[in-house]
Amino acid sequence: MQNVATDENWKTCFSQLAPGLVLFARQWTRSAADAEDIVQEAFVKFWRRHHDIANRGLLYATVRSIALDLIRRDSRRARREATALSDVDPTVQPAFDIEDDSQRALVAALDLLPEEQREVLVMKIWNELTFAEIASALEISQNTAASRYRYALAALKKNLSPAL
Amino acid sequence: MNDFSELEDQLRKLRPARPSADLVTRIERALAEETSTPTAAVLPRERRFHFNWFSLGLGLAAAAALVLFAFLRLQQPVKTTPSVASTSPAPAISNDQLVPAGLTQVVYHTRDEGLHFPSGSNQPMRRVRSHTRETLQWRNPKTGATLRISYPQEQVSLTPISGQ
Repeated sequence: MQNVATDENWKTCFSQLAPGLVLFARQWTRSAADAEDIVQEAFVKFWRRHHDIANRGLLYATVRSIALDLIRRDSRRARREATALSDVDPTVQPAFDIEDDSQRALVAALDLLPEEQREVLVMKIWNELTFAEIASALEISQNTAASRYRYALAALKKNLSPAL
Repeated sequence: MNDFSELEDQLRKLRPARPSADLVTRIERALAEETSTPTAAVLPRERRFHFNWFSLGLGLAAAAALVLFAFLRLQQPVKTTPSVASTSPAPAISNDQLVPAGLTQVVYHTRDEGLHFPSGSNQPMRRVRSHTRETLQWRNPKTGATLRISYPQEQVSLTPISGQ
């Protein structure tokens, strides 16, 4: 990830960022396809405007903004989907390659986190953003970003304590 | 040190699912579309210019057609008079016609285009271009019905300038 800033080839940049970006977008969608559409739109918009790829806060802010716009635009459809899925799956499932039961429990605990804590955790753990970058993307202070991260970890630990 | 290092390690072991292979292809296509998009700045201006002349001509043609139609309508009762004469009194027919009731000419824009030398002339002339709107009105004295035709007009006047 360190050499991303100097990389001229968007494919190299994207291949490094894509899994984390799609995971980040999946917080607001119920399907991987929708998340990929959001990431595509955000990355194309970001790249076309010749933003510095080192400005990851802006890239994630773009993804978040497009995802929220999509939700607003398509709220009727989202409500229909939410109703249809409510009996099957009450939460948005992050997309992970789960290897064992402990990881399954971890993913289940992640789903229980409030959205504002989960998005900070996703940006920090799987996208390796600094608190400054997270703060920039979410338009909050660094202290708030750090607090949300700690609250998220504490909540996870509490939820997982019987399993750990 | 924090209390969550073990939990953070567990979280980092969770790998986000890889995005679909065609996501890169879709982004590549979207970025390529941008480069093939023309950046025409002159064309819209050019089109607007032609459109103005076209609409002006169209307006004049429509006005001329209306005037012609109105005159034909005015002529019609006179031509049919002989055949109707046996059943209708002559004075009533003449009262049934539309008679010219007014002509107004409003100059809403005048532009002094400066001095010009018309071809074959040594004397300078001042050219003034004015845009006017003429309104012709007819009235039926018997029924009170009115017919009004309005059309735009562009006039160019040349005034000889004599040097003292």
